[in-house]
Amino acid sequence: MTTIRLWDLSVRLIHWSFVLLLPALWWTGEEGDLERHKTVGLVMLGLVAFRILWGLVGSATARFGSFVRGPGAVLAYLRGEAAQPGHNPIGGLSVVLMLLLLAGQAGFGLFAQDVDGMESGPLSYLVSYEQADAAREWHHLGFDLILIVVGLHIAAILFYRFVKRDNLMTPMITGRRSYDTAVQEPRMAPAWLAAACAIAAAAFAWWIAKGAPLP
Amino acid sequence: MKTRFRLVAGLALAAFGSAALFAAPADTITARQANFKAMGRAMKGIMDEMKNPAPNMAVIQASANTLAASAPRIAGGFPRGTGPEAGVKTQALPAIWARNPEFRRSAAATVVATRALQVAARSGDINRVRAAFGATGGSCKGCHDNFRLKE
Repeated sequence: MTTIRLWDLSVRLIHWSFVLLLPALWWTGEEGDLERHKTVGLVMLGLVAFRILWGLVGSATARFGSFVRGPGAVLAYLRGEAAQPGHNPIGGLSVVLMLLLLAGQAGFGLFAQDVDGMESGPLSYLVSYEQADAAREWHHLGFDLILIVVGLHIAAILFYRFVKRDNLMTPMITGRRSYDTAVQEPRMAPAWLAAACAIAAAAFAWWIAKGAPLP
Repeated sequence: MKTRFRLVAGLALAAFGSAALFAAPADTITARQANFKAMGRAMKGIMDEMKNPAPNMAVIQASANTLAASAPRIAGGFPRGTGPEAGVKTQALPAIWARNPEFRRSAAATVVATRALQVAARSGDINRVRAAFGATGGSCKGCHDNFRLKE
């Protein structure tokens, strides 16, 4: 049995931040507390931006290149072929789907205007009234889609836990996972790179919050 | 001949008058929605300028004029029979008619708020505009929360 570092701190922090932020965004949106909703939404935007950057330059198991696989690999996995440490081919697709939904959801929110005409996303001034209205409707629809995908994600974790007897949640907390067979430890990206990506993502979210002014 | 003309004219007038009084619910609903959309567009016009580092006061004033002209039309846009029972897509809640005095007070509050916004816009002081705009949006919300179908 070998125990390896599977998920780096960045991946885990991002993951559990989503778990905290999604209910907060739902609650503030539902209550019409749009001032807070926008603030939390911009934090979410920054986290999604970071995760996309991290998917390009981060640790091996965080990179899209390592877990976004073609239909052949997905079918092979479904037939029972063992997967490499990290996201399996289906899990990888679900990561991409969730990130796309979160990015799209943040994107529509940026252009949306509320029904009272009182609050609006920081980029709504760039679009017409009708478009800002449509963005709000997409923002509503987007949340329903996110709920469905989160539901599927939790169902998959429970399926692995109780049917396949495979605990996927503990590694997402501790970052470590044990394997029966010998596996190679994935290469972890240095902390300074995470810091650099975090600064870039925060700067991006800040710039959007200011209405994306061009020099 | 003259009497007959008067009679025809009188009848025609009566017909037109009742047409206005008993306008089809669908037309009433379309008209009030157009009025709300004009208000929404004007609110966005002001909001966009408030995000502008150099707000265009002329746009704010024109939008405030639209709001002040449209707000007094709200209350009259909801005669009985123009609720969800009209069979037209509307977000008007039955509470508008069940608690009509309260609804009318809410609509009147918006009239007052938009007039104050118009005065603030004419002053050319962006901070006064911001305050009056917040009050106007609050009055919209006050009515929407109680009388408009939640999305």
